[in-house]
Amino acid sequence: MECRGEAVVEKERIHLRPVTLCDAAPATLHLLPCEVLVNGPAPVGRFFTPAVRQGPDGLQVSFRGRSLRGEEAAVPPGFTGYVMVTEDRGERLKGKQDFSGSSESDGERDEQELVEAPESLEREFDRFIGATGSFSSFTLWGLETAPGPDAKVHGALAWPSLAEAIHAQVPED
Amino acid sequence: MDFSELEKDNTGRCRLSSPVPAVCRKESCVLGVDEAGRGPVLGPMVYAICYCPLSRLADLEAMKVADSKTMSESDRDKLFAKMEENGDFVGWALDVLSPNLISTSMLGRVKYNLNALSHDTAAGLIQYALDQGVRVTQVFVDTVGLPETYQERLQQRFPGIDVTVKAKADALYPVVSAASICAKVARDQAVKNWQFVEDLQDLDADYGSGYPNDPKTKAWLKKHVEPVFGFPQFVRFSWSTAQTILEKEAADVLWEDSPAQDLEGPERITAYFNKGSRARPRAPHRYFQERGLEPATALE
Amino acid sequence: YLKDASKKTKSGLMFVKLVNPCSGEGAIYLFNMCLHQLFEIKVFKEKHHSWFINQSVQSGGLLHFATPMDPLFLLLHYLILANKQGKFQPLDQVVVDDAFPNCVLLLKLPELEKVLHHVTEEKEIGNKKYYKYSKEKTLKWLEKKVKQTVAALKTSNVTVSARVQSSAFFSGNQVLSDKEEDYIRYAHGLISDYIPKELSDDLSKYLKLPEPSAPLPNPPSKKLKLSDEPVEAKEDYTKFNTKDFKTEKKTSKMTAAQKALAKVDKSGMKSIDAFFGAKNSKKIGNLQNSKK
Repeated sequence: MECRGEAVVEKERIHLRPVTLCDAAPATLHLLPCEVLVNGPAPVGRFFTPAVRQGPDGLQVSFRGRSLRGEEAAVPPGFTGYVMVTEDRGERLKGKQDFSGSSESDGERDEQELVEAPESLEREFDRFIGATGSFSSFTLWGLETAPGPDAKVHGALAWPSLAEAIHAQVPED
Repeated sequence: MDFSELEKDNTGRCRLSSPVPAVCRKESCVLGVDEAGRGPVLGPMVYAICYCPLSRLADLEAMKVADSKTMSESDRDKLFAKMEENGDFVGWALDVLSPNLISTSMLGRVKYNLNALSHDTAAGLIQYALDQGVRVTQVFVDTVGLPETYQERLQQRFPGIDVTVKAKADALYPVVSAASICAKVARDQAVKNWQFVEDLQDLDADYGSGYPNDPKTKAWLKKHVEPVFGFPQFVRFSWSTAQTILEKEAADVLWEDSPAQDLEGPERITAYFNKGSRARPRAPHRYFQERGLEPATALE
Repeated sequence: YLKDASKKTKSGLMFVKLVNPCSGEGAIYLFNMCLHQLFEIKVFKEKHHSWFINQSVQSGGLLHFATPMDPLFLLLHYLILANKQGKFQPLDQVVVDDAFPNCVLLLKLPELEKVLHHVTEEKEIGNKKYYKYSKEKTLKWLEKKVKQTVAALKTSNVTVSARVQSSAFFSGNQVLSDKEEDYIRYAHGLISDYIPKELSDDLSKYLKLPEPSAPLPNPPSKKLKLSDEPVEAKEDYTKFNTKDFKTEKKTSKMTAAQKALAKVDKSGMKSIDAFFGAKNSKKIGNLQNSKK
């Protein structure tokens, strides 16, 4: 089953390239009420965005001949949304070159001083992830009716505030 | 015809009408209903009514109105111009149903088929004439579907009016012929001046008749298919011709009401639950389940 | 200036797989090594979603949430395991895991030492500290956790009563205001997602929660909007689920167009996820400030 493969995977660390977080340009996001079974470039700006209308009951558009109703959903306060891309292992070299602006050994030395780690945090088999965009809201679309407050996504967006309470340090006696 | 409203937004429906001739508010009127562009896979469908006082029916006939299908485009344009000249006793109104409206109606969760859409549009136009003060006493309609049930339905809705629904009514009754001319002229003009909602590059205007069996139309559809979005909104997605091309040339799209047999392709959720049901001792708390949240096990 | 900031956070943020104390399986966590912070990653996953992200499409519609997490929950797993030997041990002997070797990163969270006393007895011999899991202390600590969770639940709009409520319930007179016990039970349930089953049961007793009369119905079906969903749609949905649960990994059938896109996909982006990083982690905040 998956288990044998996992032994390798679970050693790995996926490093988030910090520079990409501040470099991430604002991105426009739409969460659709359907699964499009493909990943990759799509002419959203030519086919979708110009067809969006502000109707009496919120945003309207159609996709593949089906009517959609939309509403804005905000990222919880204090949080920023990032679009993340994991780099292919093969891409890593390229990624490192991109990163050469800040001297790498310096960074690692800093880390070591801070955490007194015997080994460096980045290892040969680690992978990298970077942000390619940031967002503070996105458009949430429902099939024919606006998703409304009952939509699971809205519930999910309330999670961080409850998480804060669960994970806050308890008061001392 | 002033299509500026339609050109501003052609994603829904749009109604155009002539001023109501004063005489039509005083005298009993006959009203005809017909449609254009029902069959094509491209462009809008136009429903039209045309009306005049019973006393002037002979004058309308004298204009030599006939079934729009038997006429050339320029003859239709001339006849429509003539009707406009006689605006003192001939009135018309029409509904342009955008291809987007047709697609989204027919592909709705609750399917709204073209016949029902047609019937409701026709009834809406008759009601519009009444609301404008036209004294409608007789209505002739070119049928869509079975004339008997259609007639019964319209008769029920307008009990004070004598309703006749017939096949080929556009050839039999001049007032229906006149309506068919209004509809056809409007459809042609709408198609010719269609403002594509999408920002399309190297758009090919040569799409033939728009009928699904026209090889030119088919070739145009195949050329303009986009793997994610399918077609521009100018295309009726609900037509089987369009669907067939999408199945072959575009990405599969699954909706929550898609038929189950369409379920193909990678389903991460499935993978998760398969794994979960075996190895997971406890399901996440309902707080998380109700919000579609679960611990991330991979950065997919 | 910007580069300077990035240099500081260099290597600071990393996603690793650690054991989820509830399931015992691997789950993704995020470390901010510079700020010594741990984040848990929850993913929003619902059928039939996709993203449009700028000029691209991403199937799945996943949304990840990175929220600060109390590392004690992860540590408890190891403390309880180590306690089977019944002796005081230094932490670096407790937190060892062949399956998830990244667990040693937990030891690099300096504030851990300050809070360990909530769940352990400790002894100092020479310069070294030795710890032993204390169930009594842990239960006391968890009770406080439950308390603060209850407080948060009360200020939020979460429905906590034992029955899974559909919108239809709200219309009748039978809407009961949520009782204190319901809040405690609910908070206990939430906390239980972070601790092993046995501890959850112990906590239930400790909180004197009566056994629920009937087991909670498992996955509550998607809330139906009664007004606009026809009966067939509902049936379809259940059909979907049952079919899905059974279906094993399916081979995807790709059209020529899809294949073309898939190729582009590989060279360009491997996978895109919309993801929430916590801004309140100072480093990221700094980065953003420096950008201004």
